[in-house]
Amino acid sequence: MRSTYVALARLVALGVVLQAAFIAFGTFDVINVVEDGEVYDGDYNSGQVLHSLGAMAISVVGLALLIVSFFAKLPGGVKWAAIVFGVIALQWVLAIAAFEVGAVIGLLHGINAVALAVVAERAGARVAKLEPAAGPERPRTTTPA
Amino acid sequence: MSRARRHLRALIATAATLAIVVPLGWLWWASLVPDTYNVMDMGVVDLGGGPDMDHDMHAGQDVSTFTGPDDGDPDVAITVTARKESIELVDGPTVDGYTLNGTSPGPEIRATQGDLVEVTLVNESVPDGTTLHWHGVDVPNAEDGVAGVTQDAVDAGEEHVYRFVVEDVGTYWFHSHQVSHEQVRGGLFGTLVVEPKPPGLFPGGPVVDTVDVVAAVHTYDGRRTVNGKVGESWQQAEPGSVARVRVVNTDNGPMRTWVAGAPYQVVAVDGYDLNEPTDITDTSVLVTAGGRVDVEFTVPMDGSAVRIGAGGGGASLVVGPEGATAPDDDEPEAELDLLSYGEPAPIPFELDFDRSFEYRIGRWPGFLDGRPGLWWTVNGEMFPDIPMYVVAEGDVVRMTIENTSGEVHPMHLHGHHALVLSRNGEDYTGSPWWVDSLNVEDDETYEIAFVADNPGVWMDHCHNLPHVSEGLLAHLMYDGVTTDYVVGGDADNVPE
Repeated sequence: MRSTYVALARLVALGVVLQAAFIAFGTFDVINVVEDGEVYDGDYNSGQVLHSLGAMAISVVGLALLIVSFFAKLPGGVKWAAIVFGVIALQWVLAIAAFEVGAVIGLLHGINAVALAVVAERAGARVAKLEPAAGPERPRTTTPA
Repeated sequence: MSRARRHLRALIATAATLAIVVPLGWLWWASLVPDTYNVMDMGVVDLGGGPDMDHDMHAGQDVSTFTGPDDGDPDVAITVTARKESIELVDGPTVDGYTLNGTSPGPEIRATQGDLVEVTLVNESVPDGTTLHWHGVDVPNAEDGVAGVTQDAVDAGEEHVYRFVVEDVGTYWFHSHQVSHEQVRGGLFGTLVVEPKPPGLFPGGPVVDTVDVVAAVHTYDGRRTVNGKVGESWQQAEPGSVARVRVVNTDNGPMRTWVAGAPYQVVAVDGYDLNEPTDITDTSVLVTAGGRVDVEFTVPMDGSAVRIGAGGGGASLVVGPEGATAPDDDEPEAELDLLSYGEPAPIPFELDFDRSFEYRIGRWPGFLDGRPGLWWTVNGEMFPDIPMYVVAEGDVVRMTIENTSGEVHPMHLHGHHALVLSRNGEDYTGSPWWVDSLNVEDDETYEIAFVADNPGVWMDHCHNLPHVSEGLLAHLMYDGVTTDYVVGGDADNVPE
């Protein structure tokens, strides 16, 4: 349960890194297409499709982390999983606002992405560092990741 | 920890999990759309403040009975053969796509107002099946070509005959309405021009242009073309001749067109002539996705040529004497506002509305047929809870289209032309501006009006075709009309 918690939290952080890569790919593709005199007609390109799939995947992982935290009995585990989930939710709100209110809100979406990576990594690292005995879970022979 | 406390804790954890999973699961489950459904069963009935209707959606006259003339020799008859094959773009690469009679764009059909047109669609090799929708032509409902709503998709090896009278002059186009976001993009379309009757019948009637040419703009795999040619296309015209260029935007996004080298007039939009258009220069005009704009100008007497720009991507049409060069100006910054262009004229109905509808477009996270994502909403609801706008024949209808979704939407109502009344509360002051395809930018609200004079079941959707598969559609339904066709089903109908 505990290693699952750590793995899910770190998966969220890794997901954010991939998301940054995908959206950079998508943006450069748009620029290249337009500069080549071709037309970019608004369909999502590969980078943008990957970014929207990634958004789904991170949300599902964040939800799984929250559910795992309910059962994992780790001190502060639920709180940190909830923080991660809340930052993911905020990321959605900022994405919608960037579409609906103005692209400039995309700046906050980018900054919040870094915040998400940081809190997810922190959520995982603090549990990984816990002395096995510190948690109510019975000590295991496996070393924490 | 006592056993009881451990149990309590497990109980709380389970309850918290269920509190998250159950609502999500319910939302997911509720979003699932059956593989086969009838559009009469999908959506939210909206009476627009008008009288109630027959609540049995499956009672009434079937759409298949609203056909064009069954007998009589056609004035224009053509067979159109659809194939899935590669397209050799003129001055461009070869791309995978779809052709009609071996080319893309397919044939340009020319007819005279009042002609009976008969088109036999033969599907030779389009694997998903295909149809032809007569975009902008207010045909009888059975000829509208929407798979799963007005007919079954025509499978490979089968054929389907469309027969209708072209009552209105103008520039139109036709395209597949089966898996349309893929087939139209891949080139399965052609153009239809309805010319006025010869001027001899109307002394002092319409001036016949000496040059009358269609410029069908399409983007194949990122290459923008005019009539299938990358870069500059050319049309011979003598100095002093009057040229009419019928610009058709067959892409998914709005495009600006303009004329460089001569003053020009926008003489028609979506097949409807504008009243008293004036000369404009250094100004572009927006052609929304699916829309048509006819521009007219006089080829300069000094022997130079005129260029008609077609948005970004470097495709253009040059009209002029052989060997002449045309200015290669950038797209003008100024854009024509059709709300105040030309002069007012009487309109054929009183603005006394029998029904008023809202078509509010937004965007929201949720499940669309089980797929999580950020999807379009209509009146706050996601597909399949889309509006079913119910009208009775003869109703004068007002539709308010509001877009707060963050993206532009080219809204296309089948089977009717609507008059633009206002934009963001500002009434029109120019020529009556009739549309079948209206560009609604983000944060814009348009009021349009139309007469419900063409009974049937009609799609009213965004012509950025991938948006339709993302749920941006509604239906206009006439009280007492139903359809037995189904989306899905044995014919695998996929109208979007």
